[in-house]
Order: sequence, then structure tokens, then C-alpha cells
Amino acid sequence: MRTSEINKRPVVTMAGEDVAQIRDVIYSAGGGAVGGFTLSGRGLLAGPMKQALAWTSVAALGADAVMIRDEDALEPTQSVLDASASAGGSGGNVLGSQVLTDSGVDLGTVADVVIEVAGMTGGQCDVVGYEIEASEALGTKGTKLLIPLPDTLAASGEHLMVPASAKDFVAQDLAGFGASIDAFRAQLRETT
Amino acid sequence: MMRFSDASGRKVVSTSTADRVGRVDEFIVDPKTRSVVAVELKKTENGNTLRWSDITAFGADAVTVTGAEKITDGGDDVTALAGKDHRVLGKRVLSSKGDELGKVKDVEFDPESGAVTALILDNGQVEGSTLVGVGSYAVVVHAE
Repeated sequence: MRTSEINKRPVVTMAGEDVAQIRDVIYSAGGGAVGGFTLSGRGLLAGPMKQALAWTSVAALGADAVMIRDEDALEPTQSVLDASASAGGSGGNVLGSQVLTDSGVDLGTVADVVIEVAGMTGGQCDVVGYEIEASEALGTKGTKLLIPLPDTLAASGEHLMVPASAKDFVAQDLAGFGASIDAFRAQLRETT
Repeated sequence: MMRFSDASGRKVVSTSTADRVGRVDEFIVDPKTRSVVAVELKKTENGNTLRWSDITAFGADAVTVTGAEKITDGGDDVTALAGKDHRVLGKRVLSSKGDELGKVKDVEFDPESGAVTALILDNGQVEGSTLVGVGSYAVVVHAE
């Protein structure tokens, strides 16, 4: 799913109370995984909250709500940010970053982030790809394309480095994207 | 099995005096035990809460109690579960995976034990045994 779809999604306890809503994603592992979420209060006038939600405290990320066990799952924002940063997180925003291949070709700019929850509860929430505004290098300038990512990658906030072969595995929509990611990562494993 | 919609409005009759002592209005459900713990009544003399354990029988035509004194203001445990935030009817249903399943149209329960046996949604139903929580935002049910 795209991270833009998660924004404003309610955070609901198993007791059925909506305690917050998602404000933004906190990345860890160099931008390769979701470390947690910053939160806003519920309601029209509610602003950002001082508490955040670490990914490890998320019971489930569903289509309509982010489920948590109870309110104790929330913790001070700073501690979630610190935990993600110590796991190699940029903590920063990748949207708008230029996607460069290791051969120095500009593929476009990041418009959205595609994530996938691995397996059962407690599994990692991986960043598996980016939706990019394509550059000329992809031959379809201006269109939105999905580009798969390796397990780990380097991100500086300005640039995002991907292997040159990533451009052979771009997809037009999420439906065919899962297969692209698998094929891309399999190919990377073969070459290394 | 009985449904909230059928049972709502049913008269409550005292077996000692044969008087009508109230009418069933709302059901108070405890999501922990997945059962009805009390019914809220209207048209009563004192108080409006009848604990499930004080009900003699929940019959097809009337609810019987031994006497009007069984109708009280309810204890703290029951009043904590009463009110709009804990109402099941009309509320959205979320699975424990975070997917919305629909809205609760009706609730099916066992008139013998008070156990909630099913939640009737606008598009299907879920087993009462999957009930996890009832809050101001949603009814949460367990999903595999």
C-alpha cells in the first residue's frame, strides 16, 4: 500500500476507542523500513500529538484502521524517533528526493512510498518501492511509475541511490508491483 | 436465539405482584464476557437497570422478575458499560486486522444465558465469540 493512503487513518484500540490518527511515517533502517508513525489527535481542531506509535506496537495495519492493543502502545515521540534513528533511520522525508541509479542516471523524483507488511503480526513493515515522477531516462517523462527497492539502500535526503537494474523492473500499478519486487530482489541476490 | 430488535420494548412483569414494572429499552453488553450483563428499562418507578442475574426468565412475550426491587440504578460495573460509547447497535465493526466489516444492524443472543451469539451486520454476520471490544469508535472483532 502507499503511505499516502495511511495518512489520517484512525488509530483504534482493541477496546474500540479511536485514540489518534496517523500524521506521518517515521522511517528506520536507512529508509528501508517503517519505524513508526507520528500522530495527530482526532477531531477537526486537534493538532499534532506529543506521543507517537512505534511499529513494534502496531497490532495490525488494516485498510480502514491501524489497530493497537491499548493506549499504552503510544510512547513519547522523541523515543520513537530516537529508536528509529539508532536503527539507521534518516527520520527525514524522502518525498521529493531525486532517485539516482548507481550508474548516475536520474530516474525521477519520489512522489509516494510503497510499503508492505511482512507476514504475521510482529513482522517488519518494509519499504518495498517508491512511486516516482518519471524522468526522461525512463522514456515516459511525467508519468507516475512504481520502482522496486532493494532490501537496503542509501538515502541522503537529497538523493536516493538504487541499482541501475531497478529501472528494468518498474511497474505501472500496485497490482503487478509485487511480482516486480520479487523479480528485482531475486535478480539482485543472483548478482551479489 | 433472540434478537435485540425483537426483545426491545418487551414488558417486564413481577412474579410476586403480577404487575408490569417496566419495559425493555436497551441492552448493556460486556465485551469481556461477550454477554448481556443488564438491560436498561423505561417506564419504571425506581431506577432503570435490571441485572441479567436478577432476571427470572427472558420469555418470548415477557421478561419476568421476582419483584420491582430488582430494578436498581445499577452498580458501578454496569454503569461503566452503559451509555452511547458502549452501545453495540449502529456502530461500525472493525476486524482486529484493521478492516471495516460493516455496521451492526442487530444482535442475536441466547435468552437463557445472555451470551451474545452473533452480530448481524448490514452485509452478513459475525460470530459473537469473536467480540473483542466495544468503544466509542467501533466494535472490534477478532479476525484470523
